[in-house]
Amino acid sequence: MKKLRLLIPIVTFLFVCIFFYRGLFSDPRDIKNASLDREFPAFALADLMTPDLKRTESELMGKVTLVNVWGTWCITCRVELPFLTQLKQQENMRIVGVYYDNAVDAAFGPVDVNKTRLEVRQMLGQLGDPFLYNVYDEKRDLSLDLGITGAPESFLVNKQGKIVWHRRGDINVRLWQEELKPLFEKLKAE
Amino acid sequence: MKILLSLIISLVITASSAASPKDKYPFETIEEQRLFNQLTKALRCPKCQNQNIADSNAGVAVDLKNKTYQLVKEGKSEQYVIDFMVQRYGNFVTYQPPINSVTVWLWLIPLLIAFMLGFIVYKRSQSAHQSASQTDIEQEMLEKAKAILKQGK
Repeated sequence: MKKLRLLIPIVTFLFVCIFFYRGLFSDPRDIKNASLDREFPAFALADLMTPDLKRTESELMGKVTLVNVWGTWCITCRVELPFLTQLKQQENMRIVGVYYDNAVDAAFGPVDVNKTRLEVRQMLGQLGDPFLYNVYDEKRDLSLDLGITGAPESFLVNKQGKIVWHRRGDINVRLWQEELKPLFEKLKAE
Repeated sequence: MKILLSLIISLVITASSAASPKDKYPFETIEEQRLFNQLTKALRCPKCQNQNIADSNAGVAVDLKNKTYQLVKEGKSEQYVIDFMVQRYGNFVTYQPPINSVTVWLWLIPLLIAFMLGFIVYKRSQSAHQSASQTDIEQEMLEKAKAILKQGK
């Protein structure tokens, strides 16, 4: 009994140690996206370049698609554009862009879409254009439905239109090799 | 001096009016205004570590504020707005965690510790009481013994 009593503080101390040790290496910003394992949210938005064209979520079905949420104002998006272009060319990946304006910029007043189009053309011409088309999320409702916290963010959508993978930040070679490629191959074979 | 004073006063006035959220999110009724203020303080910015959306100027916080404003204007209830946000941004977006198999320990562990401490204190006081009554008995026996000894003399 005496020995057992001695064990209690030792075991407690060990548990506290494990708790704090785990906390030391856990990333508090690594919050699971709530849209994961759900159907891609419904939307009906204009194409960024040809506004008469209405795009919906049904167009994402049938082929594994990478949905990339981005904006010309976003610096990390610049970094990942060349690699995404490479994915499109080499892996024949279908990449659809969701373009959204920076909320802080938009708060200053209406955004000029023509200016945005010009900027997009310039940026894609300079760094490569990975997109099959871009959806213009004018009121940012789709971004909100997707649970976007910034740009860039990417979602991998399977053939049934379900979100199976999410990435906050850029897509790069290492991430592709380690995570995305195996998943992409698997989903393609399904 | 007077010029300086008026300058300071005008600065304070413009600063306070610029910081007021009323201008950006106008409401017709006080109830809606109160609900909006309450919600923007109760919802947490998903991009920032510990700021509510009323306090944060991150892009996503601005969007969440706009959405909250829109929903409150539509006459939606507090719970509806919170559910709407949790549906899209997960439990991180609210400061009130739901009770499930993982989070239930947040409430259970303090209770368990309190019970354990109470139990230990109770046990200790009992054993102390026991030893106290024991010395009483010893004292009594000693008195008795003394009395008997006196008689014997």
